[in-house]
Amino acid sequence: MSEKKKWFTLDLGFNKKVPTASSCGCGKTSGGCGSHEAPSPSKNEHAMTAEEFDKAVEGTMVDETRKDGFQQVFDVKMDRRTAFRKLTASLLVGAGAVQTSCSVIAGEESKEKAQIDWEEQFKGNYKLMTQEERDATVDRLVRSYQLRKKENIKMSATDASKDVLFGYAFNISKCQGYMDCVSACVEENNQDRNSQMQYIRIHEMKDGEGFKFNEADDNYYHEVPAEGHFYMGTQCFHCDDPPCVDVCPVQATWREEDGLVVIDYDWCIGCRYCMAACPYDGRRFNWSKPEVPEEEVNKNQHYLGNRMRKKGVMEKCTFCIQRSRAGKDPACVEACPTGARIFGNLLDPDSTIRWVLANKKVFRLKEDLGTEPKFWYFMD
Amino acid sequence: MVKDSLGYITHGSKTYHIWMIFLTAIMLIGMYCYSIQLEEGLSATGMTDRVSWGLYISNFTFLVGVAAAAVMLVMPTYVLNDIDFKHAVLIGEGLAVAALLMCLAFVVADMGGPSVLWHMIPGIGVFNFPNSMLAWDVIVLNGYLFINITIPLYILFRHYQGKEAKRSVYIPGSILSVLWAVGIHLVTAFLYEGLQARPFWNNALLGPRFLASAFAAGPALIILVLAVIRKFTEFNIEQKTINKIAMIVVVAAQINLIMLVSELFKEFYAPTHHSESAYYLFFGLEGKTALLPWIWTAIPLNVLATVLLTFHKLRRNPKVLYFCCFILFVAIWIEKGFGLIVPGFIPGPYGTIAEYRPTGVEIGVTLGIWAMGAFIFTMLAKTSIGIELGKLRYRKKEKLASKAA
Amino acid sequence: MIELRILLGFAIFLCLCSCKHTEGEYHSLNDKIEEEGKKYHGTDISSETYIGDIETLEITEGGHTFLIPERKGQLKSYACTECHSKPLSEMQNNANAQRAHWDIKVVHADENAMNCATCHNGNAMDHLKSLTGNAVDFNRSYKLCSQCHTTQFEDWKGGAHGKNIGGWSEPRAAMTCVNCHNPHQPQIESKWPVQFNTQKVKERE
Repeated sequence: MSEKKKWFTLDLGFNKKVPTASSCGCGKTSGGCGSHEAPSPSKNEHAMTAEEFDKAVEGTMVDETRKDGFQQVFDVKMDRRTAFRKLTASLLVGAGAVQTSCSVIAGEESKEKAQIDWEEQFKGNYKLMTQEERDATVDRLVRSYQLRKKENIKMSATDASKDVLFGYAFNISKCQGYMDCVSACVEENNQDRNSQMQYIRIHEMKDGEGFKFNEADDNYYHEVPAEGHFYMGTQCFHCDDPPCVDVCPVQATWREEDGLVVIDYDWCIGCRYCMAACPYDGRRFNWSKPEVPEEEVNKNQHYLGNRMRKKGVMEKCTFCIQRSRAGKDPACVEACPTGARIFGNLLDPDSTIRWVLANKKVFRLKEDLGTEPKFWYFMD
Repeated sequence: MVKDSLGYITHGSKTYHIWMIFLTAIMLIGMYCYSIQLEEGLSATGMTDRVSWGLYISNFTFLVGVAAAAVMLVMPTYVLNDIDFKHAVLIGEGLAVAALLMCLAFVVADMGGPSVLWHMIPGIGVFNFPNSMLAWDVIVLNGYLFINITIPLYILFRHYQGKEAKRSVYIPGSILSVLWAVGIHLVTAFLYEGLQARPFWNNALLGPRFLASAFAAGPALIILVLAVIRKFTEFNIEQKTINKIAMIVVVAAQINLIMLVSELFKEFYAPTHHSESAYYLFFGLEGKTALLPWIWTAIPLNVLATVLLTFHKLRRNPKVLYFCCFILFVAIWIEKGFGLIVPGFIPGPYGTIAEYRPTGVEIGVTLGIWAMGAFIFTMLAKTSIGIELGKLRYRKKEKLASKAA
Repeated sequence: MIELRILLGFAIFLCLCSCKHTEGEYHSLNDKIEEEGKKYHGTDISSETYIGDIETLEITEGGHTFLIPERKGQLKSYACTECHSKPLSEMQNNANAQRAHWDIKVVHADENAMNCATCHNGNAMDHLKSLTGNAVDFNRSYKLCSQCHTTQFEDWKGGAHGKNIGGWSEPRAAMTCVNCHNPHQPQIESKWPVQFNTQKVKERE
């Protein structure tokens, strides 16, 4: 742990080096101590007894194989009654983590799980972390997934490269409304299947009426392209002066050096102020627990990108940060069968995106708001 | 003092006990609803990606106004030493504290991740200070809460010991709290005003209108509360005090009405694309008319109350006054609550019109928080009335003992 | 007086804190891109691996150098001369000539402008031919398309038309005309979307 902290860290002494763990009275931090086998009354003050908690945890462990989505510590399966009892505890900051870590569960794995949850609960803001701290949280998340799902994921935390500023152009004449981009995006970015979250919206508009978004059909359900219509996609425009970043009270969202506007899902408090501030409908909120079937999970993840989210946090398009930072096109660009989507480095004078900006008649949406989106539209 | 007041608030008439039990029951229902929301996530509410703020934030906005207005009574009392208001002020500050606690509760209820709210605590978390208006709001609300707890506490404590409070101590405090009251309200207005994405809010009149409507609704509530207190306790509140507060209500309500006319003129004389939200609010869009009954209740009530109160004769009549204060309060609650928040989201950034309808869970939590506010206020008011009436006093015996020591 | 001073102080404080727009050195995003682009030194990010197993060849057209998929290897029966050993006229006149390519229908412009011979040379089937009769390699078939579709050709070279392959970085690889358009029937048919715009019945209605 570094000395200079910009946030608060509570060390309950879970580091293996420190023998005086507050988690159990037996003084042993590793391995099960005798008293752990029998359910003993909890020393905590919260409303749930240890016995109930054990039951709940067992429930989750059994469920693990068929449950999907991000398994947060709070999401132990419980009925209304237990939920009610747990209420007082949940109101306390980090009570969930305290519960897990203080409860008496046998086994090294659950101990480790509890420690990971504790450290995750009280980690800092990714933007302000040192490199070691970043690596540590990535490692923890990978390990946590391994413990819970018995599957390995690959999570990167690649930083922005110098001399890169990502930009996007969208050819309105080419888009035919095939929806391949939306499909690819959902699969690539592990979006919640239950609420059918989609970052991209395709608007079907009538020829000759101009951009009348309010008359556009966002929910069409027919063969495309429809006679006399054109199509236009919107998503997060990665504004250069993003209003969502200004309004976030805790700096959980920010603009990276390469122009991507990203969110630290673990730092977000879910106030949805950014959603109100976005003029482009670019942000999405997890109103309930996001779920992705295990076999559909994209395991190539980025900390600021498509890693598993939890309920109550914001998310949005990141121009597929896990792909774009590695030099690959975002999933929507790759999936588009029409070539309507063009992605590239705005600082490279020879890039295709620069050619489009210089040679086509481009425009952006709501330019008068001064948000400077890095997402241009053009026509053939 | 704490022990004494605890003893004092747990004793009372039968009506008092029934009232407190009733509030506790509603609070329990609210907590149950909140537990459902915690478990299921905010999907248990009527909010969606289209309308992402609802009943919670509406009530929050309204209550900030109530909290701010309560303190406007402070100025004349403490600074000008207008003895008239003195009794009303303690009630007013109690109301401010209760309103602020409700504000904070509504904000917490609206959060997607209440367990990580510590990210917002300055010093521990990371604060997006000058940039985010919400960060400002957290600071000013908590600062205001602090001021409003300390000043009355100091005065009450002095009275409790049987002494007069020192002017040099509380006057700077009350000046600060008056400025601060304007501050919390403007900052809350800026929270919305600063969003270029929402033309309905992005309007220079929003801040002043917030203030005007708050100074109508807040004192109106105080009048009602004073009336209740007058009825149920021996606490003597002179008619003169109520008349003065009524005057504040009238002036604020009149200014509020002028601003409303100005706003309506701007929206409907030369309607632009940006007037759609106002159209939705007042006439509905594409057959979506959920807010119509509400706003068309609020506007006539607002006008009626303002007109009635403008006439001195009518205003002097307690029955008319109480009735007007009540309808004014309701009207402003509608107009500045979801009449302001919900249309901001409709139509959405791309013109989508999706309506918002709060769910039972949401309403339950809201009622619970209101009950909590009433509960807190009753306790605070009872204590301060007790002290002011001299029923609650530092016991002589202990005083002697401490002197001996 | 004190009140006034406090008010004034508060106002100044507000002003200081509310200057949230750090304007930076540039007036607009375009200026910024322009200026910072001048200092561009290239990145060490490569997109090479994402091109995958596609055989490519490098072309240079109008100052743009990029990769396009190799075509001949993808054709079912190249070289054509394996069958077309004799000029077409001789083969067609043969009584026991085998019918080939009978399913190919040209739906491309109209018959006044286009027929098979516009692009194919019956006497040298291994190459395509330009309007003036010059031989064009099958791998560079875009040269034929660009004879008429000049604006599309310009856009394609610049990157505004056609589909990028792999990644956004160097080396640039792009689909060539025939990777998307069937040269005999270049019009792309309408079809059902891969998924509906929204699966939610509630929102659809």
